[in-house]
Amino acid sequence: MQEILFYIFSALTLLCGLLVVFNPFSRNPVTSAMFLVLTIISMSGLFVLLKAFFLAAVQILVYAGAVIVLFLFVIMLLDVKEEERRRYQKFGTFLGFAAVTGLAMLIINTIKQSGVSQALTGDGVAETKPLGKLLFTDYLLPFEIVSILLLVAMVGCILLSKREETAEAEAE
Amino acid sequence: MDLQLVSLEIGACLLGIMVLLVDLWTPAERKAQLGWWVAGGLVGVFCYSFTIFDQGTGTGATGYVKDSLAVYFQGYFVLSAVLVVLLTQSYAARIRSGISELYAFTCFALAGMSFAAGANSLVLLFVAVELITITFYVLTSFERHRLRSLEAGIKYLILGAASSAIMVFGIALIYGSTGALDFHGVARAANGLNDDSMMLLYQLGVLMTLGGLFFKLAAVPFQLWVPDVYQGAPTPVTTFLSTGSKAAGIVLILRLLADACPPLLGEAWLRQLLALMAAATILYGSLCALRQRNLKRLLGYSSIASAGFVLLGLVTLSDQGAQAVLFYLTAYVFGVVGAFTVISVVSEESSDEDISTLANLHQRSPLMATVLTLSIISLAGVPPLAGFMGKFALLRAAIDSVAVHPVMPWVIGAALVGVVISFYYYFTVIREIFWGKGRFWAEEAPSTEPLLCPRAAEVVLLTCLFGLIGLGLFPEPILFIAGEATEYLFSAN
Repeated sequence: MQEILFYIFSALTLLCGLLVVFNPFSRNPVTSAMFLVLTIISMSGLFVLLKAFFLAAVQILVYAGAVIVLFLFVIMLLDVKEEERRRYQKFGTFLGFAAVTGLAMLIINTIKQSGVSQALTGDGVAETKPLGKLLFTDYLLPFEIVSILLLVAMVGCILLSKREETAEAEAE
Repeated sequence: MDLQLVSLEIGACLLGIMVLLVDLWTPAERKAQLGWWVAGGLVGVFCYSFTIFDQGTGTGATGYVKDSLAVYFQGYFVLSAVLVVLLTQSYAARIRSGISELYAFTCFALAGMSFAAGANSLVLLFVAVELITITFYVLTSFERHRLRSLEAGIKYLILGAASSAIMVFGIALIYGSTGALDFHGVARAANGLNDDSMMLLYQLGVLMTLGGLFFKLAAVPFQLWVPDVYQGAPTPVTTFLSTGSKAAGIVLILRLLADACPPLLGEAWLRQLLALMAAATILYGSLCALRQRNLKRLLGYSSIASAGFVLLGLVTLSDQGAQAVLFYLTAYVFGVVGAFTVISVVSEESSDEDISTLANLHQRSPLMATVLTLSIISLAGVPPLAGFMGKFALLRAAIDSVAVHPVMPWVIGAALVGVVISFYYYFTVIREIFWGKGRFWAEEAPSTEPLLCPRAAEVVLLTCLFGLIGLGLFPEPILFIAGEATEYLFSAN
């Protein structure tokens, strides 16, 4: 049963992920964002199978909830129209395909040869209580660095999106 | 956890936050002057953190070590951050808004780099790299009114995000196969992997993690972002990118290879891969620099070539090679900062970065002409300047390891060809300073008016002059410290 569920969820993740960036039926950014929601939900299914319930919940609450809502806000505020079909450079397309195929072959071959096939099971560390304990003991330093990182991201966002003072003065 | 251990990083972060706050009460015309305080503050914080190392707190907090290698690199990062802050101050007129944020972000990036210098676990490695990279996403697109700066920011954002994704996948594979996150734990678990299946996953994980770090270093084939980003970013940011960000990648690669991959160090494929990358990086950087007319692009390609020389030291996988890498970096920082400072001042006056703007510089500003000439000569590796000693140490380490590494002669050959090619484009710059005729289509001769150099830029230039000559004539003290820092790095295994 678990195995079947695993295959269903991973197939869904891959399919929806593909549809985010490459959708033959619609080139509307809102559709892409919606497929991103589906990708994230099926990914949280994989977390549930690994008994990482907390991560699964966070995945849905934070990513499918908050982040995607922000995405949609930005898309609608900027009033992004349907993306035009544009021509791709042949050389660039070829190079991109070659690089992605190479990396994919490397990963697939390694996993095949390594013969990792036994079903993975969770060890219960990803439950809320042990996770919180680890975050505030062993991983306190990286945890605090992330707060600086968020500060940088916040200040950077404001800086890059506010109107430039002197540019305004010139316009007046 | 001992907070004193990370006092340098805490100090840098606090300094950054303080600048953001002080900005609120500072009148607009005095904001640029904050640079002096930031530079002074950074030096103070470093001196304080240095006394703590002397008291003998070697190891401590999980995932973070403050050994002599970390202290060496932290000193290096503080040096380049101070020079960059002063350079930023002389660049301030061109930043339309947010000069204090530029100082603050330099401090935050410095904190990330010095965490990277002491990173001893994969978690800290990833967080430190992200702190550096995300800060630089904002920094590269700081001049929003210039289209090139925005283009640089977007390119760096997309390529950087892709490389981070690959790196974090690699970290997941390492954790999946060894079950450990700190470097020594990974090494212990990997030594015990006699089971072929997990070994393969572990090797793939190490390769992908290294890939993410090579992106920082700008080694072929992860170098595509360099020319556009270097050209588009504000000059102080470009300087920090080519000194600090690059060195953070190097210290992480050194630690990862030496501490987390002992089972792989004996493998022939790892050495061949590094050797191939070193040769390709040196040749690519040198050949592409030949036809460049834009000074920042030219230095961008030259920085790819020097990433190749750093790899030359890494291929040896020996203490001597690591020592040479550390010394080469220190010599490199003076050359690069000196060259970028002159370019920044000259390009402000002529609002152009073409190589022909350097014409008559020796009449217009003898100090700038001297420093630029010496920086370029040092980067090219001509005795008796610092850059020569750096390249010499790297080549000597490489030649000493010929007996162990059968591929080494080929890499050394490629490096020598790269050095010869680099003479051509470096000396084009010098020819332009002394014998330049300006643009060939321009009607009037290039100006000979004296060019004023801002006070902060003057301080940077004199420091670089001192460093270039001092390290070239008396390399022993720094070589000794670098030797202390890398003792037993590889030979302990």
